[in-house]
Amino acid sequence: MNTTLRDQERRTGWWLLTPALLLLLLVYAYPIARSFGLSLVTQNLGTELQPVFAGLDNYSRMALDGRFWQTIGNTVFFTVVSVILELLLGLGIALVLNQAFPSRGAVRTIALLPWALPTALIATTWTWIFNDQFGVWNDILLRLGLIQTGVNWLGDPNWAMWTVIAADVWKTTPFIAILLLAGLQSIPPDLYEAHALDGATRWQSFYRITLPLLLPQILIAGLFRFAQAFGVFDLVQVMTGGGPGGATETVSLYIYATIMRYLDFGYGAALVVVTFVILSLAVALATWGLARLRAVRAIGEPR
Amino acid sequence: MAAVLNLRSWLSRRRYLVGLAILCCTAVVLGNLVAWPQPPIRLTMLTSALDAEQGRSLVAAFEAKNPDIKIDVIEGPTGSNAIEDLYTTSFLLGGSPYDLVMMDVVWLPKFAAAGWLLDLTDQIPAADLADFMPADLDGGRYNGKLYRLPIRSDAQLLFYRQDWLEQAGIQPPETFDDLIAASQQLQQAGTTKWGYVWQGRQFEGLTAVFVDVLAGYGGFWVNPKTLEVGLDRPEAVEAVQFLRRTIEQGVSPPGVSNYQHEDARRLFQAGEAAFMHNWPYAYPLSNADDSPIKGKFAIKTMVHAPGLTSAACLGGWGLGVAKSTAHPEAALRVAQFYASPEAQRLSSLENGYLPTRRSLYSDSEIVAKYPYFPSMMGVVEKAVLRPPIAQYAQASDILQRYLSAAITNRMDAEAAMMAAATETRALLARN
Amino acid sequence: MTLVQKDAPLDVVPPRRWGLAVAVGLLLIFSLAPILWQVLTSLKTNADIAAVPNVYFPRQLTLEHYIELFRRRPFLRYMLNSAFVASVSTLLCLLIGTPAAYALARLRLPGERFILAGVLIVTLFPYILLFLGLLELVRTFGLANTYLALIVPYTAMNLPLTILVMRSFFQQLPRDLEDSAKIDGYNTGQMLWQILLPLTLPALVTTGILAFIAAWNEFIFALTFITRESMKTVPVAVAQLSGTAVFEIPYGALAAATVVGTLPLVILVLLFQRRIVQGLTAGAVKG
Repeated sequence: MNTTLRDQERRTGWWLLTPALLLLLLVYAYPIARSFGLSLVTQNLGTELQPVFAGLDNYSRMALDGRFWQTIGNTVFFTVVSVILELLLGLGIALVLNQAFPSRGAVRTIALLPWALPTALIATTWTWIFNDQFGVWNDILLRLGLIQTGVNWLGDPNWAMWTVIAADVWKTTPFIAILLLAGLQSIPPDLYEAHALDGATRWQSFYRITLPLLLPQILIAGLFRFAQAFGVFDLVQVMTGGGPGGATETVSLYIYATIMRYLDFGYGAALVVVTFVILSLAVALATWGLARLRAVRAIGEPR
Repeated sequence: MAAVLNLRSWLSRRRYLVGLAILCCTAVVLGNLVAWPQPPIRLTMLTSALDAEQGRSLVAAFEAKNPDIKIDVIEGPTGSNAIEDLYTTSFLLGGSPYDLVMMDVVWLPKFAAAGWLLDLTDQIPAADLADFMPADLDGGRYNGKLYRLPIRSDAQLLFYRQDWLEQAGIQPPETFDDLIAASQQLQQAGTTKWGYVWQGRQFEGLTAVFVDVLAGYGGFWVNPKTLEVGLDRPEAVEAVQFLRRTIEQGVSPPGVSNYQHEDARRLFQAGEAAFMHNWPYAYPLSNADDSPIKGKFAIKTMVHAPGLTSAACLGGWGLGVAKSTAHPEAALRVAQFYASPEAQRLSSLENGYLPTRRSLYSDSEIVAKYPYFPSMMGVVEKAVLRPPIAQYAQASDILQRYLSAAITNRMDAEAAMMAAATETRALLARN
Repeated sequence: MTLVQKDAPLDVVPPRRWGLAVAVGLLLIFSLAPILWQVLTSLKTNADIAAVPNVYFPRQLTLEHYIELFRRRPFLRYMLNSAFVASVSTLLCLLIGTPAAYALARLRLPGERFILAGVLIVTLFPYILLFLGLLELVRTFGLANTYLALIVPYTAMNLPLTILVMRSFFQQLPRDLEDSAKIDGYNTGQMLWQILLPLTLPALVTTGILAFIAAWNEFIFALTFITRESMKTVPVAVAQLSGTAVFEIPYGALAAATVVGTLPLVILVLLFQRRIVQGLTAGAVKG
């Protein structure tokens, strides 16, 4: 009797789950699996868009492809710098939003705003703000006397990447701030009070209590942002298109160009596979670190 | 009684049907005689915003002559790369909204190889092609088949300040060394701030400049027949070193490595440079009434190495017919109209574009307006086509990357060209 | 004050209040300045936009850029496209995701942990890795330039979040709820419809808003699978608007487009800030 009820429950469960799983398989698993298959053929304009089996040619070609390595370098730089900046700034914003002050709800709403707005539209906003001739950012810096002539923020290879990072930080810091704020709110206030009674300064209590207890949230937020930043597309595509001179070209832009501009499907698929593998390794590493941290936490703290 | 009534009504219905049939027949006959207004065929094409704006009178002229066809011009972005990408995406997806394809000369091999264009070889009688300049026609061919009718030609030139050269008693330069020497002489005399401006930004314009210089040194990029790559030959390295030398010797401004066409034109037009490498579009602009250098400059082909001749990089646009169109005949009529003497004359007079038909270079009205046109014919006829290979976009991007690296001193010229050659060979080997 | 605000960790000392005010001020400027600048730009005349040094407050207000937007481009059409695609995919996503979440929360299935881990990991992969495979599907099924080409991927891309958020809501509901409903004679369908649904409505709204925002903002699929002007969504249409004007700087029209295109989302955030925060934290942290 009991087993039949369990069976029935299971059967219902699978029925409820199947549509979602099928859709996820179709939209996530199939394209990735398909890319693995396509990466073993040459299918481009040279073959009149017909697939020709090529073994691992696409991968060996990648080793000699200077542009691929440059885009990987750009992507890693963009990801690491923007995620670190976002975590620092996000933590600061979370700490501020966790304080008591009048109309805090309204401020939280406003702080959330950048996250909700379409990246492609925001990218045009920043392109305008950083315009070399008419941009307001140059105007402000000129008025403050910080620069003598307008800087070509998006046209100068030395500045373009930093400019794109600035726009990304603005756009996605609220997301991190929200996650960290939730973490802050879950720290029991009596911990601080006890610590303060022991004569600890605010900095010490931040360092000893806030930061360690917030670490899981920081890691989770960092992981999410890492994965998203690694695949950044719309922001860069709209702001610089990868220029000037490939200075802001990330691996996703290169993949897009390889497929949609060069019609080099086999090689594009190989790029997809390699990016997928790199990301998977990074995610596995981070998840492992998170699990270890939780394990240590579970032993270290009796609560 | 009822039966009679039924009969009568049947009769009347029959009469009614017959009447209707007669009416229909008359309508059809009449319609054929007086061109019964049918809904016109709508054809769509995508062009840059500038072309959409400048092409209005062409559309109007065509529609006035062909009331059965309407042309919807979709206004795309200004950058020609962006237009190429929009066309590519829509053809790749299938169900393309475009019937006509307005193409730059360098996109054609890709579009043709991908099978997106209608083969026009047998659609157009050979006699109709006789007036076109062979270089422009070749730009519309892939593997011997014609896919595009040339509607506008283009060849890169050297603009120079005739007034300054005459003042200083310098002959217009013929060789690369002449160009640098003349620039330095004018700069030292305080006549001009900069000698020679060109396009050094990592984009197609840099490729085009390099193609000119490379031709002047007698080198080649990719041989379209053998697919041999010539980028690591001494001539190519020399060509890069020349471009680099212009910056190192102060002949070109350091910012030239980030210049596009308009940056160069602004400087030249403001009287801050003696020589400019650019397309003919700059001529009418720099010679406009509000230009400070109106009437003070002249054009010639790019300089070359001693003992060799120069060749200009060929540009130009044309119209092709999408294979997926539902109205190939109508689309072909549009393409033929745009390539016709009448339409090209209009676009030359209105916008200063070079025609692709020989006869127009001696057209009195055009010559009266643009006295330099007759001399352009020789330039276009000798112009070199960038390699008509299907993977052109990729090959050009490889070249641009390494040229830019060499120009900005991030790489040694020789190492850069070796790497470019290796990557280009790898690209072409995958056939 | 500190008594009322229960999540203030420490007593507030007057000198710190001053620092706090500065911090809040900076935060407001940081979050709002770019948006306000765009609003100002959209209301300036072209002369003011191109003025050097910059004109901060329009010397003359104009709506010409907004009028231009709707007159020269089918902007209303873009908005409707975005709204339609985002709404339909959101509804579908809730319809498919909620039962799945319920199954994962309640009906101890074998391999549940793997499915959950899979769903979680899927959220980490950027869309650029998917578009090549999807492009082929779109071509094979002839979906180019149809709403379906966007609705299907959008539904799928919002599924993981929906499943995670809804699952954590279901887990918070007392388990006896369903049991007592069954004892009271409700069958499963009635139980779901009459008891569970009203209870989960707030969670559905939360997830729905998140899904709607994500679908409205999506770029790469919309850029690739739609090429017909009349089918384009707002982000792609605006991105392609840049650089279309020939004789003037297009930033007035661009700014107006940004303002109009973001307005629905600004309204959503203003109305549902609390729910969005709840949803994000439930999806990311508890998952």
